[in-house]
Amino acid sequence: MDPITAMYLSQGLHGLTYGMILFLIASGLTIIFGMMGILNLAHASFFMLAAYFSYEVLRITSSFWIALLVAPLLVGILGTLVERYLLRKIHAHGHLGELILTTGIMMLILGGVMEIWGTSSLPVPVPDSLRGVVSIAGMYYPTYRLFIIGIAMLVIVLMISVLYGTRIGKIVRAAVSDSEMVNALGINVPLVFMFVFGFGTWLAGIAGVVVAPLLTVFPGLADQIGMDAFMVVVTGGFGSMVGAFVVSLIFGLLNSYGIQFVSTLAPLLMVSFMALVLAVRPQGLFGVIEDE
Amino acid sequence: MNKKKTHIIIWLLLIAVLLMLPKWADLYYTSFFLTFAVFAVYAVSLNMLLGYTGLLSFGHATYFGMGGYGTALALKNISGLSLLPAIGIGVLSASVLAIVVSPIVARVRGAAFAMIHLALGMFMYTMSLKLRRYTGGEDGLGNFPTPGIEFFGLFSISMEPSSTNFYYLAVTILGVSVLLMWFFTKTPFGQVQIAIRDNQKRIAYLGYRIPHSRSIIYITAGLFAGVAGSIYAVFHNLVSADGQFGILASFTPILASMLGGIGSFFGPILGTGVFMIVEEIALEYTSRIEIVVGALLVFVIMFMPYGIMGFIYMLRMKWASRRTGDLSKEAAA
Repeated sequence: MDPITAMYLSQGLHGLTYGMILFLIASGLTIIFGMMGILNLAHASFFMLAAYFSYEVLRITSSFWIALLVAPLLVGILGTLVERYLLRKIHAHGHLGELILTTGIMMLILGGVMEIWGTSSLPVPVPDSLRGVVSIAGMYYPTYRLFIIGIAMLVIVLMISVLYGTRIGKIVRAAVSDSEMVNALGINVPLVFMFVFGFGTWLAGIAGVVVAPLLTVFPGLADQIGMDAFMVVVTGGFGSMVGAFVVSLIFGLLNSYGIQFVSTLAPLLMVSFMALVLAVRPQGLFGVIEDE
Repeated sequence: MNKKKTHIIIWLLLIAVLLMLPKWADLYYTSFFLTFAVFAVYAVSLNMLLGYTGLLSFGHATYFGMGGYGTALALKNISGLSLLPAIGIGVLSASVLAIVVSPIVARVRGAAFAMIHLALGMFMYTMSLKLRRYTGGEDGLGNFPTPGIEFFGLFSISMEPSSTNFYYLAVTILGVSVLLMWFFTKTPFGQVQIAIRDNQKRIAYLGYRIPHSRSIIYITAGLFAGVAGSIYAVFHNLVSADGQFGILASFTPILASMLGGIGSFFGPILGTGVFMIVEEIALEYTSRIEIVVGALLVFVIMFMPYGIMGFIYMLRMKWASRRTGDLSKEAAA
């Protein structure tokens, strides 16, 4: 393969990696928003918290796989508790209350993380088995990035098969379109909500663990990647999983090719893309206008 | 008539206290009060969006910071510029930015509005770090001159940030801003905003053009945030990415508004005062202001969702209903 094609291809793979990470975070946001109508501003903070948990688990057990199992689970449980004991009680106050509450939790996590782990960035090693490069058609690419793409794919497939293949998935989808009706049919919708919220934060937790070796762990992590994930959800249309997926990939590619061609302006590309989409379609690419 | 008289007396007393404050109190308390006044104007400007239009902005610091950077850049780069035009430039740059952004944001609301502003705030933050040549990057802009105010070359008044003169100027500008915003919300136009918040569709049917009127209040809110930011920049003689555009700069007025009560005009002012006092006490125990802000936000929304003003209103309603023999209970029975 000639070097130019290889360069384009590897930048494309970089973009795909970043897009997949974004989608792992954005999909949790989307599933929570689609089902409960809650925009969880603390979502990116849970993502960051998982990265810190994985650092801590790695320090104790020095096994990446245990971290991948434990850290998202802890974050998921925390998310479940937040839903059960805080969010549920203020659901009656509407969107404003939820935004304010999740903002508060975001601040608490940010402050707490800085209080416990300090403000410097903590290195997390790439696991031994995923170190090195893979040769694809004569081009070398880091194994770990391919692993990220793989694990994201796995989660997506898992999510689709649960949503469309099981009874629980059916209940969740029904609750997304009409939660009152599902409640009337004798299904405990608040319980389902609680688990969906936990599941969403668990997804963010997985993203947090896999991102940690790539970017190291620091308090700005939530701002940096979380902001992009929020922009994905806004641009793709609130509650649209397809939108989140498509825009995640677009953003990933914009980011990687942007860095290559117009490096200083790369962060502007995503914002401009979002502004452009919203100027034409305020509800986002795949969003539907909510009627009140 | 009688009520009017007491109002006049209260106003005169307030003005007298404001005038005498630098004579009575030392520099620490005047600075504290001036900071309070800046953030009160900033919070009221945010509440014009939040309380009167129902639009929650997570990036209002965009305009606060724009006002600050506008003034700081003007003072740094234009030699011989007097103070008032410099403040004017800051306010103008905030307003122009609001005018540019308004066509996009006037069409969305709710969560999308909040998120677009979060992105806008982050964008401004990043830009102020990246355009190092103009904004000084992480160091920000400091040590710019604070010229006096000239009167046609006849005489000039010195305006050192710590001086009594500057205190009077700042309090005048901020006080007039609050009055202007108060009158703005009392005009028929301001009342239409409340109607739009409560029932957008019906107002559209009545023939009002919602994006247009929303743009106007948006630009006004941006303008007054610019006023607050500009005064703050001169007062501190420093602008920085974290102080002007940082995430805390956006969330402080939201917290102040929520704490005081977004349903009332004076709620954000009260909230700013309470927050500053709580902050002062809490910082004795922790250096992480984020924890204080976060805990306060969670507390307010869980236990006092309508803020202090809402709490007072509720107490008054209870008291009134007890006095009239609990009409509500009888009606219910």
